[in-house]
Amino acid sequence: MPGDVSAIALSGADFLREHLRARLTLVMLIALPAVFVLVSASVLDEFAAALGGSVAGNSASALGAGWAAAFLAGALGFFQVASSREADRRLALAGMGAARVAVARISASILLGLLVSTVAFLTLWLTAGIAHPAHAFAAILIFALIYIGIGTLVGSVLSDPLEGSLTVAFVFLIDAFSGPGMSGSGGIAQLMPTRKAADVLIAAGSGQGSPSGDWIAVGLTTLGALLLAATAFWLSARPRSS
Amino acid sequence: MRAEGLEKGFHRGLPPRRRRVEVLKGASLEVRRGELVGLVGENGSGKSTLMKIVVGLLERDAGTVERGGKLGYCPQTPLLWEKLTVEEHFELFARAYELDPAEAAAATENLLEELQFGRYRGYRIEDLSGGTRQKLNLALALMHRPDLLLLDEPYSGFDWETYLRFWEISERRRDAGMGILIVSHFLSERERLDRVYELRDGRCLET
Repeated sequence: MPGDVSAIALSGADFLREHLRARLTLVMLIALPAVFVLVSASVLDEFAAALGGSVAGNSASALGAGWAAAFLAGALGFFQVASSREADRRLALAGMGAARVAVARISASILLGLLVSTVAFLTLWLTAGIAHPAHAFAAILIFALIYIGIGTLVGSVLSDPLEGSLTVAFVFLIDAFSGPGMSGSGGIAQLMPTRKAADVLIAAGSGQGSPSGDWIAVGLTTLGALLLAATAFWLSARPRSS
Repeated sequence: MRAEGLEKGFHRGLPPRRRRVEVLKGASLEVRRGELVGLVGENGSGKSTLMKIVVGLLERDAGTVERGGKLGYCPQTPLLWEKLTVEEHFELFARAYELDPAEAAAATENLLEELQFGRYRGYRIEDLSGGTRQKLNLALALMHRPDLLLLDEPYSGFDWETYLRFWEISERRRDAGMGILIVSHFLSERERLDRVYELRDGRCLET
């Protein structure tokens, strides 16, 4: 058992290193939160008004940080599955096993999610200030973890980088523009994955707490997303039928 | 290793033009200890499909595969992680093979020397030539001293000197008792092989 934990931890560290050595990933890690928090937030109130909603000030900045973390985590989740599927399968076959490869991958993904959330949160904190920093950080991390689930799910179905990236971006756009404060709160908006996390983040941005029901809802959504990601990694490392 | 009556088909295209292509139609082959066996066939004849089924990477529609001992597999395309170094690949596979640190270090040094790519040990895969990637691909299949070695087009990208060394390595391991199956679309060195199968119309014919 200790050998298992050590093998998983070291392999997870390798998978994490693999992503952090990509220069573009590092550039995006800094640039995207800056773009979303500084630029998008400044025009978000007008954009939201055009869509029929209202969000402004620190709530808009906080939402921008959540979106930045979500988009980065979704893209990284996609590439974790799509770019290494065959090599992971070979490693599983060599004796690592699909379950241990999946745990190593999900560990690396959670650490990547933590990293992008930290950068997005720090950008938000340093530029806009935030009344409820702990709530804001938790909500941003939840955005990232939910999108790890979405990214890995897309990666388990599509392997082409262009198709996969566009699909993650499409889901992200629908989710973001139908979220609270944007196009309204009825219909499909209620079914969007980051709906409750966005409520918590907007509340934290405006200096308010959130009801425990919202926290339970985001907790369950996050758990579901991580289970989805773990399943996608496991299926990708198993023998395939075609 | 004995595979009997393997069948495999794939669906191709989208409706209404979706059709099923039968690639393997009862293919059987055997590799014994201390034997160097070739599997040849035209492009698209199903050699890699057969290999993946034997290895366990692909599910079969019908048939049986019996394998004993440790398995080493060298895929046709080097399946590696672009941003990791050669040394990190050895470490990753040593953990998968559950080698102890001393065994892993000895195997790594031996293979780097045997295949003569030790100077690239700190290089990332993205910085390696195709031939050096292929050397690592082969070395990873050999590092745990398998009882059965399955090689899918293992020498593509090798220069002449490395190609000759590959055969020396294979023969040495065969003489030490390893069973080896080499897949290729052509085998120019039939005299080096103990037996050759040809995959034709989804079946293996011993030639």
